[in-house]
Amino acid sequence: MLDTEDVQDVAVGPNRRPGRLRAGRGIFVLPPLALVVALLLGPLVLIALYSFGLRSNIPGAATSLDTSNWKDFLTGSGNTFRGLLWHSLGITLLVSVAATVAAYPLAYFLSFVARKHRYTLLLLLLAPFFTSYLLRVIAWQVILNDNGVANSFIQAIGLRPQGEAVPWLIYSNFAVALVLFYSWIPFVALPIFAVLENMDRRLLEAAEDLGASRTATFLRVTLPLSLPGVIAGFVFVLIPTTGEFITPLLVGGTDSQLFGNAIQSFFVDSPDWNYGSVLALTLITLVVALTLVFGRFLMTDLREPEPERGAGK
Amino acid sequence: MDTSNLNRRQFLTGTAGLAAGTGLLAACGSPSAPAAAASSSRPAASKEPGNMSLLEWGGYEAAGTKAQTAGMTVAGADYIKKYGLNSVSYTYITNDDQALQKATAGGSFDLMHPCHENLPDYVDRGLVQEWDTSLIPSFKQLNPYLVQQGQYKGKQYMIPWDWGYGSLTYRTDKVAAADATGWELAWNPKYAGKVSLWSGASTNFEVAALKLGLPKMDDLTDAQLEQAKQELIKQKPLNKFYWDSEYSQMQPAIKSGTAWIAYSWQDTLVSMKAAKVPVAFLDPSQGRLSWFCGFMLGKDTPNYYHAHEYVESFVNKAACAQMTNAFAYGTSNALVTPADITDKALADSLRLSDPHALTNGAHLQSWAPNRAKLQLAWQEVKSA
Repeated sequence: MLDTEDVQDVAVGPNRRPGRLRAGRGIFVLPPLALVVALLLGPLVLIALYSFGLRSNIPGAATSLDTSNWKDFLTGSGNTFRGLLWHSLGITLLVSVAATVAAYPLAYFLSFVARKHRYTLLLLLLAPFFTSYLLRVIAWQVILNDNGVANSFIQAIGLRPQGEAVPWLIYSNFAVALVLFYSWIPFVALPIFAVLENMDRRLLEAAEDLGASRTATFLRVTLPLSLPGVIAGFVFVLIPTTGEFITPLLVGGTDSQLFGNAIQSFFVDSPDWNYGSVLALTLITLVVALTLVFGRFLMTDLREPEPERGAGK
Repeated sequence: MDTSNLNRRQFLTGTAGLAAGTGLLAACGSPSAPAAAASSSRPAASKEPGNMSLLEWGGYEAAGTKAQTAGMTVAGADYIKKYGLNSVSYTYITNDDQALQKATAGGSFDLMHPCHENLPDYVDRGLVQEWDTSLIPSFKQLNPYLVQQGQYKGKQYMIPWDWGYGSLTYRTDKVAAADATGWELAWNPKYAGKVSLWSGASTNFEVAALKLGLPKMDDLTDAQLEQAKQELIKQKPLNKFYWDSEYSQMQPAIKSGTAWIAYSWQDTLVSMKAAKVPVAFLDPSQGRLSWFCGFMLGKDTPNYYHAHEYVESFVNKAACAQMTNAFAYGTSNALVTPADITDKALADSLRLSDPHALTNGAHLQSWAPNRAKLQLAWQEVKSA
């Protein structure tokens, strides 16, 4: 008789018993689970210990439970870092909304207008992302610098006198927001595109048959149905940009540093890991909260089975 | 400056931001307490692995970098000739506090190149060990004053190498000579948006202290620290940015006119002269800052003899003379005479043949007892 146990362990067939399936799955989940515990939860616990003064980055320094950093950050009057957090969230929110608004027409165009060539165009859209993020930000430096492409053009067409660069074009909040906006547009466009692609086009035909105008069809059918993609895209920008520090480091000025820069600086440049951990933990909590809030919108619709595509006239 | 050189450095310093980020990850472990020294059973030079890891400032690579045609090319050349370019790897630093942090938590280095103001920190944190000066033939030629300054608790923990000044470099074609009197130049609203101070925490507090006329710039009382902090917050909007990288941010900014006034060391003077950009190195009424740096030997280095050999290839006379010519920095080798220096006027104006100039007329950046408070205050300035 064949050893069915062995066969079943190797072959993944559709007729496997559910119980066997669960046990098999458990084994496969173990390595990633171990990684998450070792590389995510472990450091998180360390960060928490640092934030309460139970560890120190200075060898030999005395450690004891100390909540003064937390108190200072959360309740200190006019705390600079709390102020910076609000400033950063403002920029992040602005960038996320702007990127989402700009990405929607892009995704719509790809899905509805450029039907045949949509994957070629999608590849073009993603092409810049085959180069390093760092290089792309540095390229923006070349464009925005005082003697860069943008300023040369502005001066050439006489909008500003020769040699007088627009002062807010680089090393400013504008530059940080612009570069972040540019960097994240494709990542917002992708989930919106995916949702639009999977939309049941028969609904649009139905709307048309029932006499709805194109605007009405868009507002009452397409847009509501694509909202999960919009929210997914929005979250795709919001979460990573909340902790962003490279862009402000390269194109931000003294008044346009973000919360991530303060954290980076606390760990590297002017080391105070205890205070830095307070900021880091705050950011992590914030991002987890955002994920939980928006995660609810993501799960339902993206999992729907792909509907049958219409004949595509 | 040579462009290929610049590009290489731009790349290196550009990636420093990323390195700093990954440093966060690498630094997860706990910095261990000082371990006991084990000097008795040391393997011979030939038994050492020879893969040296150094904590170094950009521009100080042994024998220059592959792409380099200008700059420092002689220092370290003997070592590289013998062991090859791939025998050394560098971790780059851009300011003193960051250097100390990387040395503490960023892995163990065979050699480090910090500055004298942090010497006690490196020793007290158990990051370094004493040098065996008998293994460095040129050690006898080094300036006794600097050698003595490199000692701590009676031991030679630092082999002094380079020294110089910190001040404001300004564009003479943009900044009125009448405005270039002292450190207050960085606070002059006339030049709003055209100033760039360094992102070095302690340095900026020293600058603010000098501007405010506080004599003990490295030992500020809490009230004085607050005063200096407010002064820096007042100065902040005038900056285009605080620079991190000398080669990829500060010098290009001065060259392009993005910044007219920047905190710098005197090597910028040489770079700008080569690029034909009209600049001067401010001699403030309150005095310039001054610094000296040197090599420190990693506590647990498996490359004990290699490290000594590396340092010898930097402190010998030829290396020191060429370094002075390339960067206009002073060096510790006392055999370097004015005859070895090409630009005599420059050397004279910077008093490069006399290391006593460090404390005589300039303010030597020294160990600050309240460093932690100072760093937090600097964070507040940056985030304000």
